[in-house]
Amino acid sequence: MGKLFDWFDSRFAVKAPHRRFFERSIPPNLNYTYCFGGIAFTYFLILVLSGLLLSIFYVPSEKEAYKSVVMITNDIPFGWLIRGVHKWSASLFIIFIILHAIRVFVSKAYRPPRELNWVIGTSIFVIAMASGFTGYLLPWDQKAYWATEVGTSMVGTIPLIGKSLMYMIGGGSEVTGTTLIRFFSLHVLFLPLMIGILLWLHFHIVKRQGISTNL
Amino acid sequence: MKTFKSEKRFYPDYLSEIIFSILIALELLLVLVLIFPPEVGRQIDFSKPFQPLPEWYFLWLFELVSYFPGNLMFIGTFLIPLSCILLLLLIPFLDKGKYGRIKAYIAGSAVLLVFCLFTILSLVE
Repeated sequence: MGKLFDWFDSRFAVKAPHRRFFERSIPPNLNYTYCFGGIAFTYFLILVLSGLLLSIFYVPSEKEAYKSVVMITNDIPFGWLIRGVHKWSASLFIIFIILHAIRVFVSKAYRPPRELNWVIGTSIFVIAMASGFTGYLLPWDQKAYWATEVGTSMVGTIPLIGKSLMYMIGGGSEVTGTTLIRFFSLHVLFLPLMIGILLWLHFHIVKRQGISTNL
Repeated sequence: MKTFKSEKRFYPDYLSEIIFSILIALELLLVLVLIFPPEVGRQIDFSKPFQPLPEWYFLWLFELVSYFPGNLMFIGTFLIPLSCILLLLLIPFLDKGKYGRIKAYIAGSAVLLVFCLFTILSLVE
């Protein structure tokens, strides 16, 4: 490689570990169903990118939220495209997590020593569902409002901790501007960070243990 | 690390296959967005009645709740969803011994069945 890269590599030694990664041998009997996890990850990256773009124009307040979504959809150049990409990749993310889980189950890849990676994957799935639930409220329209009203009152029916949990995530017994801000915070900060950390673990475990060949 | 007889390596064999599927995935996404572009919903209006409709992957939960009215509601909102998550988490630990795989199959298909069945039931209504 060029002198510039050699200068960089002599200080940070990035070549050797990546060469090892790129030259590792892959089991011969893999088919295209083994790509479902990678596709789900692709949709996660698209969600992060399109979400970052949406956050530039979205205003998480009771008065402005609906107006800002109308503006993104109708006035901002390609705003409708970014919104559509975010909405659809969320659905495809869930679909491909389910397909990936089915593939892992059928190929018995959850068996020891990979139990913990199955547990991590299931947690990512649950958090992805929670992201979908919190993101659904953000457009602040009729559909969003009433679905969240039903959803949070469902949380309230959980025995013992239900009421406190409902107050904690929703900021009250009804869906208000406080709920909108809490859901916004969960949707753009807490949940993506949690998914990011768990994905990092998920991939590093695969790297350590190799691809399962139990088929 | 196990070594395999195959000459298949991550680069270029597997990487090119992954990139191919990623391109297909991106294309699928764009086609869906262009056919079904996002719509702006109706503004919140408390004076008008509205039938709540969640995202498709929560339809099964909304459907479940309608079977357990009043004091029994927590069965639909808490007990069944929690059991589903626990069953999923337990799959690797159920798969032990002679009938392990069958136990895992029962757990996995039970969760998938609950999800699909109640989603379909809610769509039929």
